[in-house]
Amino acid sequence: MSAIQIIISAVLAVLVLAGISMMSKVKTAVAGNLLSALAMLCGVVATLLFTGVVSVWTVYVAILIGALVGSLMATRVQMIQMPQTVALFNGLGGGASALVGILSALGIGFSEAQAHEIVLHGYGPFVQFTALLAVAVGMVTLVGSLVAAGKLHRILPQKPVVWKCHSLCTLLFLVLTLGFVITGIFVSGAAMTVCLVGTLVAASLFGLWFSVRVGGADMPITISLLNSLSGVAGSIAGMAISDVFLVAVGGIVGASGLLLTQIMCRAMNRKLMSILVGGTAKPAPKQPQTPVKENEELVKRAMDLEKKIKELEAMVADLEARVQTLHGQLAGAAQAQPAAQEEKPTAAGVLSKAKDVIIVPGYGMALAQAQHQVRQLADKLESRGVRVRYAIHPVAGRMPGHMNVLLAEADVDYEKLYEMEAINDDFKKVDAVVVIGANDVLNPAAREAVGTPIYGMPVLNVDEAPEVIVCNYDLKPGYAGVENPIYTREKGVYLELGDAKETLMRLISGIA
Amino acid sequence: MIHPLILISVFIVCTVLGYFIIRNVPSLLHTPLMSGMNALSGVTIVGAIGATGLAFLSGSGPLAQIVGGLAIALAAVNVFGGFGVTHRMLMMFNKKKK
Repeated sequence: MSAIQIIISAVLAVLVLAGISMMSKVKTAVAGNLLSALAMLCGVVATLLFTGVVSVWTVYVAILIGALVGSLMATRVQMIQMPQTVALFNGLGGGASALVGILSALGIGFSEAQAHEIVLHGYGPFVQFTALLAVAVGMVTLVGSLVAAGKLHRILPQKPVVWKCHSLCTLLFLVLTLGFVITGIFVSGAAMTVCLVGTLVAASLFGLWFSVRVGGADMPITISLLNSLSGVAGSIAGMAISDVFLVAVGGIVGASGLLLTQIMCRAMNRKLMSILVGGTAKPAPKQPQTPVKENEELVKRAMDLEKKIKELEAMVADLEARVQTLHGQLAGAAQAQPAAQEEKPTAAGVLSKAKDVIIVPGYGMALAQAQHQVRQLADKLESRGVRVRYAIHPVAGRMPGHMNVLLAEADVDYEKLYEMEAINDDFKKVDAVVVIGANDVLNPAAREAVGTPIYGMPVLNVDEAPEVIVCNYDLKPGYAGVENPIYTREKGVYLELGDAKETLMRLISGIA
Repeated sequence: MIHPLILISVFIVCTVLGYFIIRNVPSLLHTPLMSGMNALSGVTIVGAIGATGLAFLSGSGPLAQIVGGLAIALAAVNVFGGFGVTHRMLMMFNKKKK
């Protein structure tokens, strides 16, 4: 690599950084993305020229195939499928890095001059080490991302899967991977091939074991982490083949993924290690076990909880009955009877009077694809002079910023989307809160229920609002398995259960 | 070939720079950011092209072309798909602003 090449690489890396920094504002983000893409294109052209492989036709064939598939997917995929798409692309990038690592580990793809220099300067061990490490990180990324994409696409079970001796196996595969990579520094020839295959297999198994254990709600963290890993894999592959541009951009991607992971972990009050090794959030420990000796209060709380569950069940039954009778009435009385007359304190009634409303979307909104209905509800309210804002919890949904993208798809102005810190003090001031398919992110139990998975997790202060309308599918505890006391609140809670699309349409038509 | 220490320092510098720049991105744009980063992680296409091309020129045989070609194709899917998807998402954020 000549000095000119290094300078060009540096310039391109700066362009990439500039592109990313432009992505911090909505106005400049589109241009920022294009700038990064342009820098990448220049990087490809520069590589073709400097390595003198312009004449190799197989390269263009491969690029063309990939470009076609990629473009097709990019234009066809629906916004709702974004998390799994991101995960899938991510995996492919990791896989490509692993393949580059395989080539370098076998000593393929170096020019004669390069091969000579490697021997001359004794870079051999470094090349072998980085090549194998690229294979390891790349394979973990590939397999992990595929599993994550499968879970998000609902081909694989959403629940954490735990196999026999899971933690032990995970650790074993990790140690094996590292063992093969490190051994690879010292050997050559056939032994190197053994190390390569060993790394390949052990890393894939590690990727499978660690990702299969991650459950739905931990996905934002996992995707961010895999994103980071794919960058790191590229960067390490870049070290193996001595390409500064690759090292630089891979490093940037690695940092971004790590930062997002960190943000997500903080927002969920989870430790990264506990997700990777110690297993995912288990349902709240069954209360009756611990308390008998130590704490009578806990017993009381457990009994309270049980009572509440009973109440809840009764409420659900009651609601179902009510819905049934309503349906009956509607069917029987045709259009002649104004059916809504007898249920005065309804959710729609509350919204009809409200002047200031906060909407809290969650993963349920994504599942029901109800973002357009949410927008319609907001439009209707706004047409009546109501102030409508959206409160977005950092981990609502299945990837960082998931809710924002869905609401943007439904044409919601991004200036109405508020982050948790910005809006949390306003819940007590508004007239009503509409919750759509969110649970754990607004569960006040996170503040008190010591020992539960969500304890200590920052939550939206929905419980401070005077009126709460819950448009959830059911009242089952969320992913964390902790009951939400808001549902059993005595006053000011309206449960609109069922498919969010339908309940929202009912709300909209009910607002007088 | 570049000295390993230089490569490692480049990695560290870029990681730190990237970390501080990305910290300014609001959570509103985290999905586009992530998918943009995702597209960038396809930068490994550069390495794949170099390795495959050189293997072709030095006559390393068909296996290298298959492995390398696959690497290029996968990375290209990552790059084109990633930037495409990011662009689509960002356009959604912008269309309100007309």
